[in-house]
Amino acid sequence: MVIVKRKELTLAERLYLPEILRGLSITLRKMFVKRATRQYPEEPLVTTEVTRGQPRLAVNTDGTVRCVSCGMCEAACPAYAITIDGHETERPIEREPERFEIDMLRCILCGFCEEACPKEAIWMSDELELADYTRGALVYDLEKLKRPVSALQPRIDYIKKINDRWRTSSSTS
Amino acid sequence: MSLFLAQVLKVVVIFAGLVSAAGVSTLAERKVSAWIQLRLGPNRVGPFGVLQPLADGIKFFFKEEFIPQGATRWLFLLAPMLAAIPAMMTVAVIPFTGVIATVDGTPIYGSIADIDIGAIYVMAISGLGVYGIILGGWASNSKYSLLGGLRASAQMISYELSMILVILSIVAMSGTMNLREITDQQNANSLLGFLPAWNVFYQPLGFVLFVICTFAETNRHPFDFAECESELVGGFHTEYSSMKFALFFIGEYCAMIVMSCLTTTLFLGGAAVPFWAEAPWFVGLAAFVVKAAFFMFLFIWVRWSLPRFRYDQLMALGWKVFLPLALANVFVTGLVLSL
Amino acid sequence: MTKITVDGRELEADPKKPLIAACHEHGVDVPHYCYHAGLTPVGSCRMCQVEVEEGGRPARVAAACRTPVSEGMVVNTAGERAHAARRECLEFLLKNHPLDCPICDKAGECKLQDYSYAEGQAEGHSAEPRRKLEKRKDLGDVIVLDQERCILCSRCVRFFEEVTGQAQLCIAGRGAHSWVDSYGGRPLHGNYQGNIADLCPVGALTLKQFRFQARVWNLRKRASTCGECSRGCAISVEVLRQGEVKRIRPRYDADVNRWWMCDHGRFAFEGATLEGRLAGARARGYAGLEDVPVDDAVATVRDAYATHAKHVFVASPWLTVEEGAALAALARGLGAELLLVSPPESALKDDLLHTGDPGPNRRGLTELGCAARDAAGCREALAGAETATLVGERVVDLVGREELAALPAQVRLFVLDTKPFEAPAVRVALGVPDWVERSGHWVNVDGHRGPIAAARPAPAGVRPTLQLLGELGAAAAAEGGAR
Repeated sequence: MVIVKRKELTLAERLYLPEILRGLSITLRKMFVKRATRQYPEEPLVTTEVTRGQPRLAVNTDGTVRCVSCGMCEAACPAYAITIDGHETERPIEREPERFEIDMLRCILCGFCEEACPKEAIWMSDELELADYTRGALVYDLEKLKRPVSALQPRIDYIKKINDRWRTSSSTS
Repeated sequence: MSLFLAQVLKVVVIFAGLVSAAGVSTLAERKVSAWIQLRLGPNRVGPFGVLQPLADGIKFFFKEEFIPQGATRWLFLLAPMLAAIPAMMTVAVIPFTGVIATVDGTPIYGSIADIDIGAIYVMAISGLGVYGIILGGWASNSKYSLLGGLRASAQMISYELSMILVILSIVAMSGTMNLREITDQQNANSLLGFLPAWNVFYQPLGFVLFVICTFAETNRHPFDFAECESELVGGFHTEYSSMKFALFFIGEYCAMIVMSCLTTTLFLGGAAVPFWAEAPWFVGLAAFVVKAAFFMFLFIWVRWSLPRFRYDQLMALGWKVFLPLALANVFVTGLVLSL
Repeated sequence: MTKITVDGRELEADPKKPLIAACHEHGVDVPHYCYHAGLTPVGSCRMCQVEVEEGGRPARVAAACRTPVSEGMVVNTAGERAHAARRECLEFLLKNHPLDCPICDKAGECKLQDYSYAEGQAEGHSAEPRRKLEKRKDLGDVIVLDQERCILCSRCVRFFEEVTGQAQLCIAGRGAHSWVDSYGGRPLHGNYQGNIADLCPVGALTLKQFRFQARVWNLRKRASTCGECSRGCAISVEVLRQGEVKRIRPRYDADVNRWWMCDHGRFAFEGATLEGRLAGARARGYAGLEDVPVDDAVATVRDAYATHAKHVFVASPWLTVEEGAALAALARGLGAELLLVSPPESALKDDLLHTGDPGPNRRGLTELGCAARDAAGCREALAGAETATLVGERVVDLVGREELAALPAQVRLFVLDTKPFEAPAVRVALGVPDWVERSGHWVNVDGHRGPIAAARPAPAGVRPTLQLLGELGAAAAAEGGAR
């Protein structure tokens, strides 16, 4: 057992008023420091390629989705936010999503889907705002999730850079 | 006739001024707190948020009127009025400025009522304000409210005593209880030739005690045990909503304003402008407003700087420190005066 | 029995079977593509190579599917040389295999994925381009062939040669340029084509009905029994997200179907949809059949049982043994005639599995006392009854939808079927669960009890058949008892 001796207070400290004045002077000084507030709707959030916003599906320049509905993101999703049904296409890539839904209320923006995707089709965009009047409207379907590749390019480049670094560090066995 | 008109005019102007000042204070409270915390504060309603008190008022009007089950209805309704009205009444004796004009040889003073027992009136009426809090707390039929009310009453007794003793010293020094005369005396001569003859210089200990007691008297931080959000949810006004809550709110800010004015009157020479004894009345009024505004700022400043005391510390401070000090102050004052 | 040692364990092996069978039977996993217990081993994939020590000679690497067991043989399935040999074979197999796993329906149950993962064989050394072959070759109504994915294990070829006895596929071309094709490019025929999709260890042969329908790991699988003929093949019913059945696959059952099942049973799930189902109950009111609470409908039926004398019960051959017993008890309690509607013989009857009798539980129900009658016989009995109760899925169709609609309204017809049925004689129609929504047992033509299992919940408002029969029977019990 340790007995902690309480520190003897000096008279100035016991009087308490000087300490109060010290505290007041601190708060007074803070009144003239630069404000930390960001005026959100007018000043939008600063997003970078590191920003992990809501997942979006990349659409090629010819208008086809990259997704082949393989279900990897669906399987990787820890929040069970993704539901995919595929169907056959006439294109060389035989399959594409017929239904691709992400329940944005369930999505936790973890980025596992992006990591799991073998087709570079799903990316964490820089879109962060999420508000609507019904729950149903926040279950995003294929049309709501489609984004041209150009809109996602910074993120794609960034992830590729990161992955390349990782690849070169571990040699193939 | 014109005398009567002047009186009515004074009542209307001072009363309206008080209530609007309370409104401005709520905005100031939020603005200053924001500044201290590196924020911007309300800035959506009107330029720089100046219309925020108006928006708040409208909001209060449209909130649901709620009376808890088991509440004593008429006391529950009476309490907010009891809290607000005494605070507003006290303002009647505050001399905001010197003589404004002379009508038929009768001077029109800067206060609504220039009465000889001003100091006693202030203490008597402002002491009534606590009834609103106690009744509100008791009538709410809520344990938090009741505790808040009880704390307010105990606190009031502890600190009013010291406060009165400080006023007693001033009265003893001035030889009058008329607040206008106390002001005039501070305005009249100078101390040691370079300081204004304000009581703050004669009674520095009394000034400090008085200012601290005003905090306790108005239930302000760091002595806001009647509300004490961390322990009592909202204290005495936990169950209040809508305009009843707004009345408590207005009452609190009016009490703060009145206490600021009283401190100004008693210690800072009221409307006195240093080294300009013959200043016209409106300059004096401006000087008074500046001085009172400083104390208002102090109220807010302290609230957003200091943590709340512990309740036993508050009582110990009141009875074991302030009361002996105030008594000593009276004794020393008397000793010096008698010499 | 021959004694051998596998991975340090002493095993008793059947000398008539290859070494890999001995390993598998004793729970030792030996990778394989071309080997299948139901087919002749050919040793074409070389994935089953293990280290074998025999007769005191030093260990050699041999294909376990083509090595007979011999007394005192010592086998090491996990030796470094065996692994190296397997890795090399795997690399050659993957040489021309397109990496379209994200698209491939086999992904998730693909042996190529599993063994690549297990052997750590992720990258090849070859810089040659992959073979370009036909990716969507139509092989008839059931199968689509992706020749690029094929690893030429020849299981499908052997299946047609050995199991159906009618060769339809061959490995065409030679050496590195071979591919699987049908003779003359003709579409496949027969009732057993679907099995080659199960046999295919990769995604080369896929079922048209299952193509791109679901990812296999999303399917909820339940061991059940096929209900399309009285063979009662052991199957696994696979359901996507508690909704439609997406696939039916055979389960191994040595006594009934071994590894196979017919296409008729395989695609029977298309009839077990959630669409057009009768959920809840309908009873005759002033404006024809109206939706009513199930309890009210049950009460109506009980009242009819209590107030009328001549009862006829017609059971569907899809009723389980348990439901049949409850129905028999109910009929006995009412002194009613209990019939089993017997469907006409199917043209699909063959020597392999299909019995030609579409009723899966005919034997079980007959043993419980149901008198089997054909549709006309059932209708005859119904026409003379005061109350007639049809129980079980498809019972209306089996007795004859049009003929039942022509039944006079004096017959109080109570129908417990999965689909709605409107006719003047119908007084009460109660929805019952489909065979993929119930649990119980069927007895097949040989007396083998096969379990059926609920693979998905029945539509909301549908009560289990057993529960409904119990509620109807409670009235009969109450006749002599409390009331």
